[in-house]
Amino acid sequence: MTKHEIDCEKALQQIFQFIDHELDGGEREAMQRHLHTCKSCFSRAEFERRLKGKVGGLREKEEVPEVRSRISRLLKTF
Amino acid sequence: MAISREAFGEKVLALVGSLHGVACRLTGNDTDAEDLVAESVARAWKALDSLESDAAFRAWIFRILHNTFVSERRRANARPQCDPIGGENLDEAEPVFSIFEQMHQPFLLWFSNPEQEFLDRLLREDLERALATLPEHHRVVVILADLEEFNYREIADTLGVPLGTVRSRLARARGTLQKLLWEQAQARGLSGAAATGAAEGRTAGVPRAKSGKEA
Repeated sequence: MTKHEIDCEKALQQIFQFIDHELDGGEREAMQRHLHTCKSCFSRAEFERRLKGKVGGLREKEEVPEVRSRISRLLKTF
Repeated sequence: MAISREAFGEKVLALVGSLHGVACRLTGNDTDAEDLVAESVARAWKALDSLESDAAFRAWIFRILHNTFVSERRRANARPQCDPIGGENLDEAEPVFSIFEQMHQPFLLWFSNPEQEFLDRLLREDLERALATLPEHHRVVVILADLEEFNYREIADTLGVPLGTVRSRLARARGTLQKLLWEQAQARGLSGAAATGAAEGRTAGVPRAKSGKEA
């Protein structure tokens, strides 16, 4: 294994940083190479990515007009 | 940093939906959330000198929101809260829970995928309940990372913790969230036959592929 390759243990340690786009270029490439060759880690990454997407889907897209009005009025008092 | 009242107002109004959304999940109700946003905006205006740059505005105002929430809650409870860092250390020795590890069956990949089926069955209410049940220091990192899509540096700045703490806290928080989802699913019998079978197969050391093909 070269210093640019990672094993499953390392891949699992970095899995959240990977799905959060927080790995730097070299680390990200090493992770991607590992995921191309390891079906289990690939499935894990896909699972974590999908779950993150589902949690992100909880974000309320609609703004509450009453809150905006109240803050607009407040800003005018500054 | 010097910023005009108009520019401050524009920036605040651009974020008011996010501020209110996060406030709702911190306080658990709309009324308190609205008050929290208003109080935070007032504090932010008074603390404008502490804003270091334009780019830092989002993390800066969310930090004020979070600090305001923590201080208001302390005052309401009239007693010191447990130190979240201390709480974090207590569960540091526990492995991070993973639904994937509970369910994944490498021998089943060609005809079944229990962990993906688990995700398919997850309802918004399941996720809402699990998120609301998370301890606050876990809930806030999940909200910032996954709902508000903050990067780790912004989360660190918002919470006033080192980057490494964000990494470890987020991993712990996601593990706790998955444990809650898993327990909810088990309690309601919603983890599915595939999950039950996967667990049984693993426990007995029997590949489930055979029984699956027979079924």
